[in-house]
Amino acid sequence: MSVEVEVNESDLAEMVEQVWESYLDPEGISPLIPTYDANQPSEVHSSVSITGSWTGYVVYASSTEAARRAAGAFLAMDASEVSQEDVSDVLGELANIVGGNVKAMLPPGALLSLPQVTLAPESTARFPNSQRIGGVYGLWEGEPVSVSMWHGRGEKHEEVAV
Amino acid sequence: MKILIADDSRVMRQIVVRTLRQAGLGDHQLIEAADGKQAFDLTTSESPDLVLSDWNMPEMTGIEVLRQLRAAGNAVKFGFVTSECTPEMMQAAEAAGSLFFIVKPFSAERFDEVLAPILG
Repeated sequence: MSVEVEVNESDLAEMVEQVWESYLDPEGISPLIPTYDANQPSEVHSSVSITGSWTGYVVYASSTEAARRAAGAFLAMDASEVSQEDVSDVLGELANIVGGNVKAMLPPGALLSLPQVTLAPESTARFPNSQRIGGVYGLWEGEPVSVSMWHGRGEKHEEVAV
Repeated sequence: MKILIADDSRVMRQIVVRTLRQAGLGDHQLIEAADGKQAFDLTTSESPDLVLSDWNMPEMTGIEVLRQLRAAGNAVKFGFVTSECTPEMMQAAEAAGSLFFIVKPFSAERFDEVLAPILG
């Protein structure tokens, strides 16, 4: 039986902050500036699904430029030097890290999927019978980045062809 | 000493390598596995002194790798570096013979704290 989520936006914000401190902004000079705009645009996204005691998705979405910068930060390289494979890998890992931390706060019996990466806007993804229940939305060095949670009833994630 | 880093994310393997260096543990011989099966096979063939394994990987999960190693009589020092860390996972890991959990995102200080005593 699915239970109500026990992770709120404040928890999510804390997880996102830890990711910034550890990997994306270890020197503390480029934080994610909150916009509180759930409708901000994205160009790429990644997600992990959680099933079991709670069912839903954790979705990381950003502009292509922010994804390249994230890959550069993870790899300690200039963003202009990263490959598309690097970008996809980092996007997947970002969803995986936040998803894993979300799962750790859920009741026992939750399973985390491997990440899915889609080099298309989050708006092209469909999470049937799911609704976004919260998120962290911001600008990182002027580029949009968001991490959101979707609560569903166990249906499969479907991508819409574009 | 020889350390095997098992993670399906190449970027995360690089970050683990970098963090080992930052923690002053970069002088060890480092080898990498890109999925659970490769982790099992390389642990068997390369006989590392320590395995740092992700939990959620294709082919075999980290806990499956650990269980199969122990079932095969392999007593290699083994711990998890993973974004997931629930009490039930920690119990399962400990019961299977895992020495530690390092949770992503992690710091060099955390690596040093956990690994320095193990690596001597």
